[in-house]
Order: sequence, then C-alpha cells, then structure tokens
Amino acid sequence: MKLPPADTAILARRAEIVAALKRLVPDGVVSESAGLAAYDGDALSAYRQAPLVCVLPKTKDEVSAVLAFAQRERVPIVPRGAGTSLSGGALPRADGILIGMGRMNRILEIDYENRAIVVEPGVTNLAVTRAIEKRGFYYAPDPSSQIACTIGGNVAENAGGIHCLKYGLTTHNLLGVEMALLGGERLRLGGKAFGSGGLDMLGIAAGSEGLLGVVVEATLRILPRPPVTRTLIAAFRAVPDAGVCVANVIASGIVPAAMEFMDRRCIAAVEDYCAPGYPRDAEGLLIVELDGLEPEVAEQVTRVSTIARAAGAHTVEEAHSEQERARLWAGRKAAFPAMGRLAPDMLCMDGTIPRGALPAVLARMARMSEEYGLGFCNVFHAGDGNLHPLIIFDVMKDGELDRAEAFGADILKLCVEVGGVLSGEHGIGVEKRDLMPAMFAEADLAQQGRLKCAFDPDGLLNPGKVFPTLSACVEQGRMHVKRGRIPFPNLPRL
Amino acid sequence: MILIPQNENELADMVRAAASDERSFEIVGRGTKRGLGRTVRADDVVDLSALSGIVRYEPNELVITARAGTRVAEIEAALAEKNQCLGFEPADWSAFYGTTGTATIGGVLSADASGSARLRFGAARDHLLGFAAVNGLGEIYKAGGRVVKNVTGFDLPKLFCGAMGTLGPLTEVTLRLVPRAVDCAVLAIRGVEPESGLEILRRIWSSPLEPTGLAYIPRLAAEDMFGDVGEGISLIRIEGAPAPLADKIGLLPTLLDGREATPLAHDNDIFARIASGAAIMHRKDDIWRAFVPPASAAACARKLAPAFWLADWAGGALWLAGVDDVQAVAQSFGGHALLMRADDATRMRVSVFPLEDPVRAALTQRIKEAFDPHRLFNPDRMFEGV
Repeated sequence: MKLPPADTAILARRAEIVAALKRLVPDGVVSESAGLAAYDGDALSAYRQAPLVCVLPKTKDEVSAVLAFAQRERVPIVPRGAGTSLSGGALPRADGILIGMGRMNRILEIDYENRAIVVEPGVTNLAVTRAIEKRGFYYAPDPSSQIACTIGGNVAENAGGIHCLKYGLTTHNLLGVEMALLGGERLRLGGKAFGSGGLDMLGIAAGSEGLLGVVVEATLRILPRPPVTRTLIAAFRAVPDAGVCVANVIASGIVPAAMEFMDRRCIAAVEDYCAPGYPRDAEGLLIVELDGLEPEVAEQVTRVSTIARAAGAHTVEEAHSEQERARLWAGRKAAFPAMGRLAPDMLCMDGTIPRGALPAVLARMARMSEEYGLGFCNVFHAGDGNLHPLIIFDVMKDGELDRAEAFGADILKLCVEVGGVLSGEHGIGVEKRDLMPAMFAEADLAQQGRLKCAFDPDGLLNPGKVFPTLSACVEQGRMHVKRGRIPFPNLPRL
Repeated sequence: MILIPQNENELADMVRAAASDERSFEIVGRGTKRGLGRTVRADDVVDLSALSGIVRYEPNELVITARAGTRVAEIEAALAEKNQCLGFEPADWSAFYGTTGTATIGGVLSADASGSARLRFGAARDHLLGFAAVNGLGEIYKAGGRVVKNVTGFDLPKLFCGAMGTLGPLTEVTLRLVPRAVDCAVLAIRGVEPESGLEILRRIWSSPLEPTGLAYIPRLAAEDMFGDVGEGISLIRIEGAPAPLADKIGLLPTLLDGREATPLAHDNDIFARIASGAAIMHRKDDIWRAFVPPASAAACARKLAPAFWLADWAGGALWLAGVDDVQAVAQSFGGHALLMRADDATRMRVSVFPLEDPVRAALTQRIKEAFDPHRLFNPDRMFEGV
C-alpha cells in the first residue's frame, strides 16, 4: 500500500497553518515533532506517518472553526478518535491536519425514560455502559477495543463487536448525531425519536469513515441488561463440524447473544498466554452466549448443547460462575495479544462471508497460509460470518509485509468470491482501499463517489481512505439547467 | 404514458431515453402508496411490477434476495414456510390509501413502512442489506452486500429506505430475516389515561420482556375498536416459545403497579390494524404520524389536541387525525412528523416531510443531484426539487 505523496505547497505553508490553528484552538495544537510522533498512526501498525499538525478541539465551535479553515485554505483534514482503527482510518497525512476528538469526552445527558444517552464524540465506548450500568442499562456495541475506542470513531467505522449478532452494529444503536461538515456548518440528524425523517443521512453517517463529516455529538440507544447470561463452550475435532453447529443453531431459530469461533492455533496461543482452560485437543472451539429471561435461556442452553453434540462436539461445557464465564471470555479477548507474542507484527483481517461458506473458506485459507509461508490463526464472530484471520509476520524481514498483505488480500477476495464482503466491522480505511474494485464495479464506486461529493466537493475530508480513486466532483457541481431555467432558484445551496 | 420494463436493462434504457428527452417519471410498484408524499407531477409512470420474483432465499443464512416489484405477501408466504419473517413487520397501507392492490417490497422499503415490531427489531432501513438500482444516468449499480455485518463503502441501503423513490428505482433487494416467534400473546390494560397508560408501556419497553408491540389507544379510538373501555387501553404484545412466553406473562404484573393485564381475545391482528392505519382510516380529516421521544408522547398529544389519535412504538409513533400542521409541534418535542393522508392541495401546501434547516436542505438537494442529476425520479415527492 502506498501512502499518497504530500502536497509540497501545503508543507511549505506549515508555519502559517500552525499559527492559524493556534488562534482557533489556543490550548490544543500539537506541532513539535516529539508531540506529533504520538499521533503518527492507528492500530494498523505497519503504517506510520506524522501529521502536518495536530489539533485537539474542546468544543463544537472549535471543530467547526478548524473545518472552515481547512476548506478555506484547502488543507486535507483527518479525524481521529482514540486511534484504534485496524484499517488505517485515522492514519494521518504529511500534508494534512489531524483533528483529535479525545478532549470532547463528556457525557451530556442520560435519559432513561427515552432509553437514550447523549455523548460527546471522545467518550469511550465502555464509559457509556459504565455511566448507566448502576441503573441496569448498557450500550450494546462492544468492539474489542472498547476500553479505549471512542463513540465518534465507532460511528465513523460502524463498529460492531461480539454481541452484534443479536443487538446490531453501531448503526442500529445510533439515534442521532451532530456532525460538523467541511466548511464548518453543523448538521443535526435524528435525536431521541424513532427515525430521523427526510432522507436517511443518519444511516450514511454511520460507517462513513470520516469522509462525510466529523461527529461532534451522538445520541445512543441504551438497553436494559438481560437478567440472565449463560456461556457455553463446545469443542470439535474437525473444523467443518463447528461450521455445521453454527448453521444449525441459527436455523433452529435461536439468536445467541454471541457465537465465537477459534481454531487450534489460536486455542494453543491463548492457552499459553492466559490459560482460560480451553481443550487443547480441539481443532475448533465455539463460545456461545445466550441471554434473556431465565426459562428462555435455560431452554436455549439445552437446545444449543444438543445441537453441538449432534454436530460432533466432544466437549460441551458451561461456565458455572461469573468468574468462570469471565475466564472463558478472557481467552477469546486475548487472541490478539496471544498471537502477537508469536511474531512482531500482525494483520487482522475482517471479511464477512455467508455462514454456509465457512468450511470451504477455512480450508482455502489454510492452503494459502502454506503457499505464502506465513502463520495465521482464525478467530471470528461465527454467528454472523465475520472472519478475523490474524496473519503473523515480521515487518523487518525482507518482503514479509508485502507477502502478509498479499495473503490478506487473497483472503478478502475469497470472501467476496463466496458472496461476502471486504469488511464486517473494521472499515476499509487505507488497508482495504485498493481491494474495493474486487467487490464493486466501476459504476458502483462512481455512485458512492458522487455521494462523497455531495458532502465534500473539494475532497479534503480524510482523503485517500476507502476509495481507490475519487474522481473530481466537477461533473456533479454542474447544475442541470432544464429549458433555460435554473432549477429551484429559491433553495439554499452550500 | 405508462412504461412497464420487463427487466432492469429495459428500465435503464428507459431512464437514458427519459434523460435525453427531458421527461420525468413517477415510479410505482403496485401503486398502493401513491397517496403518500407531496403530489407528483411527472410526465410518465414507470411500473416496476414486472420486476418480480424471489431470486434467492437462503433460510440458513437468514437472508433473502428478491426483485423490487415482488409482492410482500409472496415473500412473507415463502418465509413463513421456514418459520422466518421480516423483523420490521412491513406495514400494509394499501387499504389506508384506498387501493385494492398489495404492496411490493420495493415500495415498502422506499417508504420505510415499518410495523409495530419496529420497536423490537428496528425499521425497514435496519433490514435492507443490499440492493441494485438504476441511477439518473441510466446506470445499473449495486450497493451493500448479502451479509448482515458489512462496512464496505457507504451504507446506501439506509439512504434508500424512506427516500420514496426520489433517488431512483430499486430493482433488486437483499434483506435480513429473523426467526418467527413460536407463540405470541397480546394483553390489555383497560381504563388507563394517556399519561399512565403510556408510562406503563415505557416501563415494559425498558424491561427484559422484549415486547414486539406496545400501543396505547385513547378513549375514542378504543370505543371504535373494543366498545366501552373507559379512559383508554394499553396493549402489550410479547412473543416466545410457549413455556418462556408464559413466564414472561407471569412477570408482567411486577411492572404494572397493581393494574391488571388481561389477554385479548382476537389478539394478533390488533397490531396490524394499528400499523396499517386501519384503526384511523375511517376519519374524514387529514391523517398524520408524529414521531417523538416516547416519554413526550402524552404531552405532544395534549398539545396537538387531535380529534382522534392512537400511539404505537411505546408512544414513539402517534397516529393523529383532525389536527393542522404537526411538523412544528413534533419538532418542538425533538421529533418529526409525516403527513400520511390528505388531498392533493394540502399535500402541496404543508410540509409532508420534516422541515429542514438550510444546512440539511442544501445537503438533501445535493444528495438528490448525486443520484438523479436530471431530476427524473418522482419529482417533488419529498421536497421541492426532491
């Protein structure tokens, strides 16, 4: 993956841009190189690039002022939450302003009556649940980075997590946003009511990867905590059996709160790392969580156990205490660091496939691993077919990054080939940008590009992300003049 | 002129021809919702009913793909055979608009016509995973995918739900499905005033009972539907397998402050009557829906003082008759409104869709232009120019 060449004219104006930003956000500009080094990338760790300057606004008006400045001066601008993106969504540009939203971290309102919470974009995902759990509520999307990742970033990437099989992604739990647009205007969409009326811009704001605007406030749906949660593990001697089990659970009409898969390599790595007590002799392990009211959950636990055994599970165990349950999940959540000990670098892929394609895709990936000579393991959200193959490599070894990326690209192309998609919850960012044509034809991408133009005709918001090439917005800017009349002359135009 | 394309290529040809001839289209499926929106004055009608049929149904994936002109009833029948359904419970407004047709899936999605279970499973927009469509340049393109978890590019499927066809005709849609509940119970609490009746519904909404319908019917509407029930009636729909369902019903009294919830005899279709507008369509006046934060429902109804009303979605959706312009009041409560039924002149005079501030209005125009630069599709159906 190549980073875009920096615009030397902008680099030459650096001092002037820094000075201007200091006037807009007096106490929130990072411009010395040691400070900027802290902002030189996100969780797509193979790519590092310090920004031209970093600005850390504390108010909506400051965000607007920075965006107005960026448009006026034609300087690219990259939004950043906590920098936990796995797809390089927050990767800075040498010729761009990085706008960090971390200081806007207040919870503005909790409204239990309407089951809504209003937060600033820099509030962390976990802090939302922490703020409401004493009243028995929680916020459902739970990406594994939830202790650090911010709501603004969650909206931008449409973050998911372990429990989105039953409770949906960020977009399904987002009631409203306020976004600052390029140029500084602010757009309010939705709120505590159902739906946002008019064209569903709230729907496209979620998952727009910072290409349409910068989230300055979000209203989120909060859920009552289910009274009972029970967690099982089922161990299989053959991976396809686990796939059958997943398909049969779904087909039986049960929607588990979570259904996670780990393969043998992952089990071994995790056992060495934190010993959650998984059976080491298994080729595949499923963790299934069921929640709800006691009798319903009890009935479902029995049915899932029966389905798992019928599919060939040699061990089916249930966590008998909250402590045991936490231990089972600790293993799953440690898959990343556990694999990280086996090699200095790691790529975490994120394709989604139809559940029925699981066995075939797993077999193909194992063959690819041999062909590329790179180790990998499989963890994934089995319930919704969202794969997270972890490829391990050493960036210092000649050619390994290229090989790892090629291996990853082959996995994602395979996902598309079997009817899936390039990204389930991490976003496209820079990581998968050049693979977009594997999934979308030229006309598909051009249409998305025209939507981008409607929000950002100058292409200054997070440029170089998501789309391999964005054609200039000239065509769109041209107004259609029908029979000599300017259409709707009395309408406001930005 | 009525154009009836037999496939998406024919439709794309028609769009290109319309662009060069500067002729606009009204897009219809089976024509059951032509009364919704501002009055469309288009040169031609394009009828998508021939783009019909289920393309691919994979029960194990909980996903179905169908052509946009497929009747919802056909899809629901196929799903029922596998004990699955559309979670948003498509609302059938055909009788409400005085038509005898049956709605198509493309039309239901374009109107985001969601029923009572929206409360539990989300709206139509939360169930459309991907689509194919024709844009205003006459190009066939696709967006989204066939899997439930997808952040590959902009989520155009959400933008198209509720866009009333103004961004172009859908030709094929892929939807997520949910397992159909084994059993269902509808319970009623009689003799409750709006404040307390809606407050009880919100308490159940915030409980782990996962209700799939919570409606409040005030005195006047309740008399129509049930005879004399005093002040009003709160309706609760709960689903599940038989034993867990019985358990959920058993838990209900703990949420009711000593009031009694009794099973309703002719149960499930009561929510269909609410969501389809059947409970209000006999009114002669204009009919609105207001979407407000549920806790504001009673106050909003009091302020509007409608001649006739009822509430769905735990108060989040109010059906109102005998009121004037609802938009401003709904907005003052942090919500928005939709003029569901009125004569042509009224629909051109008042804001059928929510009032937009200048920033949003300008974006709406630009998004329209991004999909339909020559403004061929459903001209003015949502807003002037859109």
